Amino acid sequence: MALALNTKRGMVTAALVAPAVAWLFIFLVLPFIAMLVFSVGERAPEGGYQPAFTFAQFANLPARSAAFWNTLVLAPVGSLVCLVVAYPVAYYLAVRASPRYRLLLVSLVVVPFWTSLLVRTYAWMYLLGSRGIPHLLDMIGFEDVRILNTPGAVLLGIVYGYLPLMIMPIYVSLEKLDRRLLEASADLGAKPVSTFFSVTLPLSLPGVMTGLALVTILLLGEYLIPQLLGGGKVFFIGNALVDLFLQSRNWPFGSAIAVTLVVVVVFVLLIAMRIAWKIAGTRQVDLV
Amino acid sequence: MSKSYKENAPISVEQLTNELMRLKRGSVTRRHFLGVTGLGLASAVLAHETSLFSTPAFAEDLGKQMSIATWPNYHDPATFEAFTAATGVAVEVNVFGSNEEMLAKLQAGGTGWDLFVPTNYTISTYVKLGLIDPLDMAKVPNYNASTETARFTAEGVVDGTTYAVPKNWGTTGIALNSTKIKTPVTSWKDFFQVAQGEADGRVMVHDYQLTTIGNALVSLGYSFNSVKPEELAKAEELLIKVKPHLYAINSDYQPGMRAGDAWMTMCWTNDGAQLNRDVPEIKFVLGKDGGEIWSDFYAIPKSAANKPAGYALLNYLMDPANAVKEHIANGAPTTDSRVLSLLPKEVTSNTIVYPPEAELTPLEFGAAVTLTDPARAEVMARFKSA
Amino acid sequence: MRAFISAVYLFLYAPIALVVLFSFNAGRNASEFTGFSTMWYGKALGNTFLVAALQNSLIIALTSATLAAIFGTMAALGMERLRPRSRAVLDGLFAAAIVVPGVVIGIATLVALVEVFSFMNPVLASVWPGENPPQLGLGYGSIIAAHGLFSMALVTMIVKARIASLGRDIVEASSDLYATPLTTFRLVVLPQILPSVLAGFLLSFTFSFDDFIIAFFVAGSKTTLPIYVFASIRRGVTPEINAVATLVLVASLMMILIARILMREKKPTN
Repeated sequence: MALALNTKRGMVTAALVAPAVAWLFIFLVLPFIAMLVFSVGERAPEGGYQPAFTFAQFANLPARSAAFWNTLVLAPVGSLVCLVVAYPVAYYLAVRASPRYRLLLVSLVVVPFWTSLLVRTYAWMYLLGSRGIPHLLDMIGFEDVRILNTPGAVLLGIVYGYLPLMIMPIYVSLEKLDRRLLEASADLGAKPVSTFFSVTLPLSLPGVMTGLALVTILLLGEYLIPQLLGGGKVFFIGNALVDLFLQSRNWPFGSAIAVTLVVVVVFVLLIAMRIAWKIAGTRQVDLV
Repeated sequence: MSKSYKENAPISVEQLTNELMRLKRGSVTRRHFLGVTGLGLASAVLAHETSLFSTPAFAEDLGKQMSIATWPNYHDPATFEAFTAATGVAVEVNVFGSNEEMLAKLQAGGTGWDLFVPTNYTISTYVKLGLIDPLDMAKVPNYNASTETARFTAEGVVDGTTYAVPKNWGTTGIALNSTKIKTPVTSWKDFFQVAQGEADGRVMVHDYQLTTIGNALVSLGYSFNSVKPEELAKAEELLIKVKPHLYAINSDYQPGMRAGDAWMTMCWTNDGAQLNRDVPEIKFVLGKDGGEIWSDFYAIPKSAANKPAGYALLNYLMDPANAVKEHIANGAPTTDSRVLSLLPKEVTSNTIVYPPEAELTPLEFGAAVTLTDPARAEVMARFKSA
Repeated sequence: MRAFISAVYLFLYAPIALVVLFSFNAGRNASEFTGFSTMWYGKALGNTFLVAALQNSLIIALTSATLAAIFGTMAALGMERLRPRSRAVLDGLFAAAIVVPGVVIGIATLVALVEVFSFMNPVLASVWPGENPPQLGLGYGSIIAAHGLFSMALVTMIVKARIASLGRDIVEASSDLYATPLTTFRLVVLPQILPSVLAGFLLSFTFSFDDFIIAFFVAGSKTTLPIYVFASIRRGVTPEINAVATLVLVASLMMILIARILMREKKPTN
């Protein structure tokens, strides 16, 4: 980083960014380098890491193809289901809800974030276990229904956990929408449905893309929800990763998977941005 | 090799006389004598359970809190409350589902545990890696090697040095809900068959290479401890075939079994005893074809922050008066004849806790090699991520 | 449509209602409601380890969010003044800090720190003049650092977006009126970016307070509230956990409410 340290202005700039640069270097760049070094190493006889230079760990990646596959399917599917549920809610909040209650309703979407996700997911373990919803189903004649520890339960947990993150960006983009456009469309004789598809939907696409990218990327590294609602059976790559560090103690292979996961995330991100540029026709995509 | 509990259970007149003579000769301590003869309980009651095996006055500062790493449903919470009341040290209980996880945490450093509960086959590895301290037996006066059953205690001693003292022994068998499962299950072969048939979607296996792979190996007619590639490959094939039919891969199976979500599980003796006690239709059987017999130990990590408190709790737990309460609460069979003699009849006659010796014959102790064998670790990991 | 929206809100709140309900359970089990009682609130507040975990979480979240807000804002201001190439590099690093999954951050930080400590501790011991050389280890520092990484990137992004929307003319106007750069910052820029700094701080706090996976790896022997909850899911959850979760929920609702009232008093026209 070429900073002009010889001028006063340069020194002020350097002082401003120095803590952040140091932080990024020590806790992002350095660990990532460590991870890269480890990924070409070997598992020590008792577990852990010993130095080596081999690509054996990367060659072994297909052994986790099922976990990669699960992740690469369930992450986009999960965020699409999130979208299907979130869009009507965001639309209602931004367009239909009476202004008096709008703020309250929007706050109510965010409030669940202030109860620990772990505790809420634990509540789902109860609701999906045989004393919860299956018990109710039993009373109306569906016996021995099993929901907990299935991919369906994981999907439900995902939608539950990430729904607010999908609703908010869509809501924000719909709220910015100039209502006069809708009125103009109606005045010009467009039916509500065609107004929605020709005006509302295209204008909300940036929000949709933001939500989809945000949720998909977070899901690629998900660990907790599959762990708690999947019974250790529905494995995401995050679970495979934790397992390699906590059970097999195979640090080099774990590092190789972590490096691969980062590559996948970056790749998905680039695709998302490419699609977003195409659809939204803008080079501005806010991911945060 | 069966100096088992039975030899010590009801003491004969002859033995009593012998013990008395030894006491007079001074070759046994009074504590040993009382423990062996079962007088301990009576005197303990008389003395309000304090004087007999009381922990020595604490010369060292025990601090305010400590932490123990152990297994699910493995202690009577009242034990720790009583320890806190006696010493002022609050005990944080961390629960783990596998020895691998405990080892991984210790290898990464900074666990904060002052005492933990490793299983027999792991101790030599901990010693080799320098992760646990040799025990200073002077700080554990309540432990008495001569009343222990050597079969279960041998692996706590490495090269003549005591690194760990036994907590209790047990087996890994099959717990099943007899109202849900009608097919008889008497072996691991049956276990994996029923898992894919009558109990489809209702069976749990441990999140743990030793028992999950070991029992799969046993069901195929191989040794529980096998690390032969071709046998492991067969076991992996079986496990991956069974996986879609499982309810969960989790070492904490009590909640699922109690709620009725799971109908059958790989199960440790103590959990089997607890489940059967509270839910009588849950039965516990040992595999005719084999399985695991184990003993768990207490050890002190080298990195422990509060070793004085670790020793104090260890000594407290080694006190037969406390150990017997733990035993009654958690249902794992004791290795200590002093504890055995204090137990009520309904515990010693419970065949889940103390099965007939013949049922134990086909069982194997876990071998140290399985803990560090990369192939077994990788088979387990592939099974879970399949 | 109404029915659908109501169903979604029900979906969002059913588990929370369950959590709150069971916090008043008389039984010891978090899965069977046996009667009404408030005893678990007392038990939770008397549980040394639960209270310590809550304290740890608060300390870590406050510290990491504060540091992130300060350094993140400084970085956002500084980046404006960087050359395009340096700025692009920093932008990339911040983006990476946000998108790299928490599980990778946790593991990578652990792996790197374990190596650094095993190198540094003997070095420290050899140069230390006194008896007990300091031992570097995992704990508050490592959690704060790992949480702060994500939070700082978040704050920088948010504040940068705000600065970009400010426009330069207002700053130029200020300096045209002979205000020193510092005065311009204090009187013109800071009030404009303060809401976004606060928003970043709050998001950072929430993130850190609720994070499990990063802390799980780098916490060492420290227990945060999510780590405690995760451990008790294995140990068997008692309504203590529900009681603490309910208290945290009520506390955050109160804070929102207070914030709303304060803002209303400032702007009576609203």
